[in-house]
Amino acid sequence: MPEPVVTVFEDPDAAERALHRLQEAEVTDARVVSPAPFPVVHLTGRPGPWPVLNKVALAGAITGLTTAALLEALTSRSMGLVVGGKPILAWPAFGVIMFELTMLFAGVANFLALVVLSAATRGRVAEAARAAANSEQIVVVVPGERFEGPGAAAVRAALGEGRS
Amino acid sequence: VDTREVIRIERDIIATMSRTGWRYRVGLGLSAGMVVVGGIAWSLALRRGLGVFGLNEPVMWGALITTFVFFIGVSHSGTLVSAILYFARSPLRAAIGRSAEAMTVITILTAGLYPIIHIGRSWLFYFVLAYPSQRQLWPNFRSPLTWDVFAISSYVTVSALFLYMGMLPDLAMLSRRVNGWRRPFFRALSLGFSGTDAEWALLEKAYPIFAGVVIPLAVSVHSVVSWDFAMSVMPGWHSSIFAPYFVAGAIFSGIAMAILLLAGLRRGYRLERYIRPGHFEMLSKLLLAASLVMTFTYATEFFMAFFHGSAAEAEVFRWRPTGAYAWVFWLVIACNSAAPLACFWGRVRRSLPALVIISVLVSVGMWFERFLFIVTTLAHTYLPQNWGLYRPTVPEVLICLGGFGWFFTLFLLFIKIFPSISVAETMEREHAAAHSAELEANHA
Repeated sequence: MPEPVVTVFEDPDAAERALHRLQEAEVTDARVVSPAPFPVVHLTGRPGPWPVLNKVALAGAITGLTTAALLEALTSRSMGLVVGGKPILAWPAFGVIMFELTMLFAGVANFLALVVLSAATRGRVAEAARAAANSEQIVVVVPGERFEGPGAAAVRAALGEGRS
Repeated sequence: VDTREVIRIERDIIATMSRTGWRYRVGLGLSAGMVVVGGIAWSLALRRGLGVFGLNEPVMWGALITTFVFFIGVSHSGTLVSAILYFARSPLRAAIGRSAEAMTVITILTAGLYPIIHIGRSWLFYFVLAYPSQRQLWPNFRSPLTWDVFAISSYVTVSALFLYMGMLPDLAMLSRRVNGWRRPFFRALSLGFSGTDAEWALLEKAYPIFAGVVIPLAVSVHSVVSWDFAMSVMPGWHSSIFAPYFVAGAIFSGIAMAILLLAGLRRGYRLERYIRPGHFEMLSKLLLAASLVMTFTYATEFFMAFFHGSAAEAEVFRWRPTGAYAWVFWLVIACNSAAPLACFWGRVRRSLPALVIISVLVSVGMWFERFLFIVTTLAHTYLPQNWGLYRPTVPEVLICLGGFGWFFTLFLLFIKIFPSISVAETMEREHAAAHSAELEANHA
C-alpha cells in the first residue's frame, strides 16, 4: 500500500484552494491538520460519527441523575433522620443535588468522549503532519493511491501551491 | 493570515509566559506576601480557636462568609460569560475567554477556603462530604449548605474541564514550540491533540455541549449560594428574588474583576493588538447593564419589604440605610449604583483608567454589599433583645486580604504557565477579520 503524501501550506487560504481543487478531482478522502479551526478543516467532509457525543452526554446526565437520586434516597433511609412526620424522601429538596450531579456527569462524560474519540480518530495522519511541518503550518494528507492512475496529474496540480 | 502572521500571534501570546518584567515580580511578591500574612492569621485562629474572630451571638457569619460569597460571585461570571460569548459568536471571547475561565477556577479555589476557615476546626471539613463512615452519618441532603457543597464542587470541576478543553489546541501548539521541561509537560497535558480535521470537528461538536452544560450550572450554583440565606426565615433574606439577585450580582462583580485582570494583562504584556479598546467598551456596557439590574433589585427589595406588611422585614430595611451600618449601605449604593452610571458617557467607556477606577469601586462595593446583607440581617433579627453588632477583628481582615493575595498569586502563576489568550481562537478570528476586510474592499 503506497504511503500517504503530505503537503505543507504556509497559509490557510492556499490549503483551502487546494482542498477545493482536490474535491473537483474527486478526491474526498484527503485529511487536514491545522493549528486553528480555519475554514479549511471543514472541507474534508469528515464530520465523523459525532452525534454519539450527544448520546454520551445524555447517558452521563442520566447516570448523574440516577446516582444523585439513589445517594439521597438510600442514605436518608439508612440514617434514620428525625423528620418530624414529614416524608423521609424529600424530593423537592433532593432536586437541587440531582440537578447538579446531572450536569456534572453530563459534562465529564462529554469530556471523556472527546478525549477517547480524538485519540481514536487521530491515527497516523497526526504523526505524518508532526514530522513534516511546524506548529503553525497547514498540512494536507492525501492517500498514496490517489497519485496512481489517470487522475494523478489532477491531484498533483491541486496540491501545487504546497510543499510536498 | 499567513505563516508570518500566525507566528506573530503565537510569539506575542507566548511572550506572556516567557517575559517576566518588574511589574510581574512586584505583583507576585505583594500577592504572595498577602498570602503569608493571611496564613499567619489563620494559624492564629487554628491555635486559639474562633474566639479570635469578631463573630458573636447573633452575628455568627461575618467577614469570612462575606468573602466566600464575594469570590463565588466573581467566579460565576467568568465561565458563564465565556460560554454565552461562545454561543453569541462574539469577537470578545477570543480576547477575554481564557482569562475569564481561569478567573472562575481560581476564584472558586479561593472561595472554597473560607467556609473551611470559618468552621474553626478546619481539619474536619470533610464531614460535609457524602462518604460512608464509621459514624454512620450522612450529610443532610435537605440542607442548603449541603446543596452548596455539591453545587460548588460540580461547578469547579466543570469549569476546570471547560477551561482545559478550550486550551487543548494551545497546549498542543506549545508542546512543539517550547523547549526544556515544558515540552513534555505540555505534550502530556495536550492529550495528544494534533489539530486533525477530525479532532477539530469533534472539538466543535463537544464544546457547545459543554458550554450548554456550563450555563445552567453557573446560574444554578449562585442560586444555590443565595438559598443558603433565602431558605431561612430571616428578615432580609427570606425572599424569592434572592436567586436572580445573586446571579445578577455575580455577573456584575465578575465583569468588574475581568476588566481589572484584562487591563493588567494588556498593560503588562503589551497585548494591545489582542485586547482592544473596543473589548473594554463592550465590557463597560455589560457592566452598566448589570449595575442597572442591581439597582432595580435593591429598589425591589425595599419596595417588597415595606409593601407586604412584615414588621421585622420593614425594620431591617429601615435600619440598613439609617442604622449602625448606614455607611456600608451608602458606600454600596455609591459604588454599585452611582459610579457605573458614568459608563453612559462614551468618553468614560473608552477611557481605560476610568474603567479601571469604576471596576475597583464596583469590586469594593460588591464585597460590602455581601457584608451588608449578611451582617445587618443577623444583627437586627426578630427580637430586639437579641440585636447586636459585629466588627471584624484584625485576624479576620488579614485572612480576607490573604484570600485576595491567594487569588492574584494563582492568577499570576497561571499566566506564567499557560497562554492567557487563546492562540487558536485568535488566529481564527484574525483570519475571519482579514476575509471580511477583503470582501468589503472588493464590494467597495
